[in-house]
Amino acid sequence: MKVLKVPAYTIAAFILPCLLLYVCLVFVPILVSLYTGLLKWDGLTTSQFVGFGNFKNMFWNDPVFWPSVRRTLLYAVASMLEIPLCLGMAILLNRYLRRANTLVSIYFTPVILSVVIIGQLWKTIYNPTSMGGMLNGVLVSLGLESWTHNWLTEPNIAMYSLYLVSLWQYFGYHLLIQYTGVQNIPDELYEAARIDGADGFKADRYITLPLIIPIFKISIILAFIGSLQAFDLVMVMTGGGPAHATDVISTHMYNSSFLSFKYGYGSAIATFLVVVCLIFTGIINMIFNRLERKFE
Amino acid sequence: MVNRKMKQTATVAFAALMAVSLAACGNSNNNANSKAKDTAAPNAATGSGNAAATDAPSDKKVTITFQNIYPDPATPSYKMIHELTDQYMKEHPNVKIELDTLNTDQQKVKLKTQAASKEIPDITMVNPAAQMKPFVDAGLLAPLNDVLDQNGLKDTYQAGLLDYYSFDNNVYALPDGNNIEVVYYNKDLFAQAGIAAPPTTFEELLKDVKLLKDKGITPLAIGEKDSWTGSFLFMNILLRTNGGPGFLKDVVDGKKTFEDPAFVEAVDAFQQLVAAGAFPDGATSIDANAGGNIFRSGKAAMWVIGTWETGANDASSVAGKVGAFQFPTVNGKGDPNEFMLAPGSAFAVSANSEHLKETKDFLNFFASEYPKKQFELKNAVGIGQKVDGDLKAAGYSELAITVAGLFNQVKGGDLSFDNTMNPATSQVHLSSIQNLFVQKMDSKAVAKEHQAAFEANK
Amino acid sequence: MRKLKKGIVYLLFAIPVITQLYPLLWLLLYSLKTNEEIQDGSFFSFPRKFQWHNYYEAYTSGSYLKYLSNSVFVTALTMICVILLASMAAYAISRFRWKYGNVVMTIFLMGMMIPMQATLLPLMIIFKNMHILNTHWSLILPYIAFSTPIAVFILSGFMRAIPHEIEESAFIDGASVYRIFRSIILPVSIPPVMTVCILTFINIWNEYILAATFISSERLKTLPFGVYTFVSQYSVNYGNIGAFLVMGALPVILIYFFLSNQITKGMVAGAVKG
Repeated sequence: MKVLKVPAYTIAAFILPCLLLYVCLVFVPILVSLYTGLLKWDGLTTSQFVGFGNFKNMFWNDPVFWPSVRRTLLYAVASMLEIPLCLGMAILLNRYLRRANTLVSIYFTPVILSVVIIGQLWKTIYNPTSMGGMLNGVLVSLGLESWTHNWLTEPNIAMYSLYLVSLWQYFGYHLLIQYTGVQNIPDELYEAARIDGADGFKADRYITLPLIIPIFKISIILAFIGSLQAFDLVMVMTGGGPAHATDVISTHMYNSSFLSFKYGYGSAIATFLVVVCLIFTGIINMIFNRLERKFE
Repeated sequence: MVNRKMKQTATVAFAALMAVSLAACGNSNNNANSKAKDTAAPNAATGSGNAAATDAPSDKKVTITFQNIYPDPATPSYKMIHELTDQYMKEHPNVKIELDTLNTDQQKVKLKTQAASKEIPDITMVNPAAQMKPFVDAGLLAPLNDVLDQNGLKDTYQAGLLDYYSFDNNVYALPDGNNIEVVYYNKDLFAQAGIAAPPTTFEELLKDVKLLKDKGITPLAIGEKDSWTGSFLFMNILLRTNGGPGFLKDVVDGKKTFEDPAFVEAVDAFQQLVAAGAFPDGATSIDANAGGNIFRSGKAAMWVIGTWETGANDASSVAGKVGAFQFPTVNGKGDPNEFMLAPGSAFAVSANSEHLKETKDFLNFFASEYPKKQFELKNAVGIGQKVDGDLKAAGYSELAITVAGLFNQVKGGDLSFDNTMNPATSQVHLSSIQNLFVQKMDSKAVAKEHQAAFEANK
Repeated sequence: MRKLKKGIVYLLFAIPVITQLYPLLWLLLYSLKTNEEIQDGSFFSFPRKFQWHNYYEAYTSGSYLKYLSNSVFVTALTMICVILLASMAAYAISRFRWKYGNVVMTIFLMGMMIPMQATLLPLMIIFKNMHILNTHWSLILPYIAFSTPIAVFILSGFMRAIPHEIEESAFIDGASVYRIFRSIILPVSIPPVMTVCILTFINIWNEYILAATFISSERLKTLPFGVYTFVSQYSVNYGNIGAFLVMGALPVILIYFFLSNQITKGMVAGAVKG
C-alpha cells in the first residue's frame, strides 16, 4: 500500500511539526504526572519521594477509590453495550430510508451542545417532585407515584441517572459512525447475496457484520476511552456527590489534587487511569483482531 | 488504525521517542519563546528588565493583575471593585489594573495551579487560617505589615480579626469581611404556620420544622451540592453540644478526639433535623446559589447561613419580610451568643510580584477606601473594618440593623471546619456530612470516620 | 403485515428525533421565560409572554461580543493548524514507505487515553517557562495537541484507501511529494477533513478548564468561560442564563447544520474494506 519512498528529511518535514507539538504538550505533561505520582506533594511546599506509597494507599486504604473504579468500568460497559443498538438502528436506517443523513444529523445534536447546557436540562428533568422535576411529574400523572425518586441524590440511583444522560448524549455519535460504516458497504455485495437467496437478516449476518467489524471496533474503543475519562458531566450534575456516590476515577483524581491538596496522590490516580486505558484498549483490540480473522 | 503491532511496539517506541523528543522539545520551546515575545500580553513583556533600577514608582508603566471572586454585575461587590480600581487608575495613569474575575470554584483551582508553578497573580484572594497556610508555607505570599502601617490602615480592622491571617507575627492577607452564622427566617411563612416567635432551643426548632412541613413549606433552605453549606450548619450544632468553642482545636492539640460525646451528640442532632424533613428534597444536587434562591423566592422559611447574605436578601423578592436570629441551644447546651465565625476571603499579594511596591501601594488604597465604598453601596454589614456612619440614617434595611445588632452580641465562637483543619481531613468531613442528607448513619461510625481521616492526614 | 412492520420501524426512527432535538427547544423556551415560570418547573409549557429582554440583558452584561471574537480567533487558528499538521502527519504515516510509521501512529493513538485534567499543572509550568501564559497561544497550542490524535486517526484511515495509481503517475511526471500532497491528496481528502473540523470545533468551542486557568486578562477570555461564569454567578436570573447559553451554542449549532452532510461522508470513509 505504501508507495512513496522518500528521503528521511521529507518524512521529517511532514511528521515532525505535528509530532513535536503533540509530544511536548501531551506526552511530556503526562510523564511529569507519572513522576509526581511517586511523590507526597501538596502542590505547593516541598515534595517527598515516597515511591509506590501513593499506589499502596490507593489500593488498600482509600475507601473511595475502588467504588469509583467500579462505577467507571460500569460506565464503560454501559456505553459499549449501547453500540450494538446503534448498529441495529444504523442497519434499519440504511434499509428503510434512501438518504438518512438528515435524520442522523438530528440524532447527533446533543453531542454538539456544551455539557453546561446538558447538565441544566437534565437537572430540570431529574428534579424532585416538589421542584417540578419532569420525570417525576410524568410518573405521578401516570399514577406511578411509588416509582418517583430523587434521581440525583439517592446514592443507589444517582449513578444510573448519570449513565442514562451519557448514553442519551452519545447515542447519535455512535449511530453516526455505524451508519457511515454500513453505508460504505458496496451494494453489489447485497445484490449478489440476494441472488443466492440470502436476504434481510441473513444478509446482515454474512455481509454486514463481518464488514462492519473494524468500524464497530472504533466505536467500542472510543466509547471505552470516553467513559473512562468521563468528567465534565459528573462535575456539573453532582460534583461526585452525594458523599462520593457518583465519584468516578477522573473526578476522584481532580478532587484529590485540587480540593484535598494531595497532588501527588491525584497524579497516582491519573497514572492508574492511563494504564487501565492502555491495557483495556489493548485487550479490546486483540479480541477484535481475533474476530476479524475468524470472519476472513 | 489501531494495529496488532501496537502492543509490542508500544513500550519500545514510548521509551525511544521520549529520548528524542525531549531533546527536540528544548528547541521548539525556544522557537515558541521568541515568537511568544512578540505576542505576549503587555504584563509579561513590560517592566521586567528595569524593576530594580527605578526608585520613583510614579512614572513606571506597570500592570497589576487582580484576581478576584466578584463576577456578578448585579452585586455591590462587583461595583465596589470596579469603581475602586477605576478611581485608582485615574489617579495613577501609569498603573493599569487588570481584573481576573472568576467564580469561587474556578478561582480555587486556578490559584492552586498557579501556585504549583510559583506564578500567582499580583493580588489574589485566599481564605483564612488553615486554608491559606499552605500558601504561606510555600513562601508565595508577601507579608503586608508595611501596608497596614501606612495611613493607619491597621487600626481600621476590628480587634483580633487580622490574627486569622497572621503567621509568625506577619499579616499575609487583608480580609474583605467578617461574618457570623445566623438563621434568617421569613416572617410571613412563620405566621402562616402559626409560629409566634423564633425558636430558642433545638427542640423548638424541630417543632417549628414540623409545623412548617405540615403547611407544605420547606423549613430550611440549603444547597448541599456545595458541601460546605451543610458543614457550616453542622458546626453550629457542634458549637452548642460542646458547650462552647474550641472543639476542633482540642482535637488538633490531642486533648479530645472526634469520638468525644459532644461530637456524637451533634451528629445525632443533625440527623434529627434531616429525619424531620427540614431540608428540601434532593438537597445534595442543589448548588449553594440555587439553595439560597429557595429562601429568597419565599419557598423556604429559614436559612442558616453567613451574614454576607444580608444584602442579597434585601435585594430579593422577600425583602422586608426577613428577620434573623441566633442559632438555638441544643439539648440545653451552649450559649446563643457564641457564633460560627466567618472571617472573609482576603486580599493577598504575591511575594514574587514584579511590581511589589506598586501593588502594595494599590492595596493600601483599596483596603482604606473599601469600608467607605461598601457603606455607600449598602453592603457594609459584616465588612470587618470600622465604618463611620449610622446604618439607619443611611437607609439600611431593618434586617441589616437586626444583623448589626447580633454582631454586637458576639461573645466568641469557632471557625468553620475547613478553616481549622487541613484540606484532606476537611474533604472527608464535608462528604461525611453530605452523606447524612441521604442516609441514616450510626453517629459513632461518623465520628470514627472523622478520627481516622484526621489521623491519616496529620 | 409489511405495512405494520414499516410503521413500527418509522416509529423507531421518530422517537429519537424527539428526544434528541428536544433540548434545543427546551433551551429556547427556557431563555424566553421569566424567573417565576422557570422555577415553577412546568416543563412543557410555553412562556406566557416571550421575554426577549433576557437576550438584551445577557448581551449587555456578559461581554458577549468580546468573548465571541476571542473564541472565533482561537478556534479558527486551532482548526487550521490541526488540519494542516494532522493531514501532513497522516499522509506520512499512511503513504510513505518507512519503518516507523506504525510506531508513530501508536504514539498518536496513545494520546487519546490521556485525560486533559491530569496535564493541567505540567502545562502551566511549561507555558510559564515559554512566557506564553495569559496569551491565546496558551490555549491554541494545547488545543492543537489534544486534537491531533483523533484527527490523525481519521485522516490516515481515509488516506490509506486512496488508490495509489494517481500518486504514482504524478510522481513519474516529476511532481514533488509536497506538490502531490497539496494538489492531489488534500483535495480528495475533503470529506474526512470536514469530519475533523466538526469534531475539533465541538471540543474546543466548549472547553473551559484550560481557558479559565491559563487566561487572566478579561480581554482575552473565551466564550465557554463566559458562559460558565455567567451560569454559576452568585445571584441568578435564569432567563438571562438561558439567553446566554443560546447565544453561546448558536455558532456551533449553525456550523454543525451547515456542515452536517459532510460529516457523515468523512467519518470513517477509509475504514471499511471494500
